Amino acid sequence: MNKKGVLIGVITIVIIAGIAASVSSSPSETMNLDMERSHGTISTAMGSPILGNPDAPITIVEFGDYQCHQCYNWFHNTKPAITQQYIETGKVNLVFVDLAFLGRDSPKAAQASYCAEDQEMYWQYHDLLYSSQESKIDSGWANSERLKAFAFSLGLDMDLFESCLDSGKYSKRVSYNGQQAKEHGVRGTPGFFVISSDTQHQISGAQPFSVFKQILDPMI
Amino acid sequence: MAQTIKLVFSNLKYLVLSFVIFSTMLVGLLILSEFIFLEPYVVSHIPSGTEFGFTLIVIISALSALVLPMNIFRINILKSSKQKMSGGIFGSIIGAAAGACSCGPIGFAVISTFGSVGATATAFLTNYETPIRVIAIAILCITYFTTVKSLKVECKINS
Repeated sequence: MNKKGVLIGVITIVIIAGIAASVSSSPSETMNLDMERSHGTISTAMGSPILGNPDAPITIVEFGDYQCHQCYNWFHNTKPAITQQYIETGKVNLVFVDLAFLGRDSPKAAQASYCAEDQEMYWQYHDLLYSSQESKIDSGWANSERLKAFAFSLGLDMDLFESCLDSGKYSKRVSYNGQQAKEHGVRGTPGFFVISSDTQHQISGAQPFSVFKQILDPMI
Repeated sequence: MAQTIKLVFSNLKYLVLSFVIFSTMLVGLLILSEFIFLEPYVVSHIPSGTEFGFTLIVIISALSALVLPMNIFRINILKSSKQKMSGGIFGSIIGAAAGACSCGPIGFAVISTFGSVGATATAFLTNYETPIRVIAIAILCITYFTTVKSLKVECKINS
């Protein structure tokens, strides 16, 4: 009876210790998310960190895919002018939300960006992906090995990054972002919402800077 | 060759048809490939690095506008077979399909509807956009020369 009691006690302690260990290593605990964050009608809680002044009166929410060549075009042709004239001057900030639908490597690339965020290198990793994009979808340029190589080139802690990427820690986060895109009628990438306290404009496609300027200037 | 073109396009009906085919294909493909946007403002632009794709679209539209009316002329006036017409339509459709960017609304709709099969198909069209367009141009060129040749024979044009 006494032995039985000891055995039950040991088993109980082992189970409790196991649960405690699994909870302490749960990915959700290490996420740095503001679950209340939203811009206009869009929940951006699971999106990127804010680029630019967090208190800017206008936010551009970009829905994109790292394998989308139109997103690449926008990143290289339109975004630099927006960054220079609106983001760096504190008038506008930007949040990137994944709509990773183009190929099997797209969700993994999006997850990798959040693994980089764990080490406070989200935007550097994001920029590196768009600078390194190759023209063919799923050609291998964004497979797991290459994603790890990008992290290595940025000097990230590789043990942390690899365990994050291999465990699929942020797969639900990426899926949630895709759901936000669908709920808001985004039907392609890149898709944008320009949001102020009282207005919300939708822009579809890799449109030129002049279009963003025409929308942003009256809102400022 | 010039005489054959003159023969077909001296008829206003075929000239108008050619213009309609050219403008419809050009504008449609430029919208699909995101060279033209209709919302929130009508705007066109050619991002750097996409000039070659733009040129191919213009060539496909021009060749389609040349080949299709010539074949319709053959069928209507000379009651010839429809075989060469299918070559022109085939080339035009291939050229148009290559412009359906998988990032855009059509690609997204196809992937949403057909899942991984749709994703593979649109990825193929995007990955091989330029070779597909070049093939379409080749098909249209071959159709053009065979049509001109047969019109010369059928209309007894002296070159």
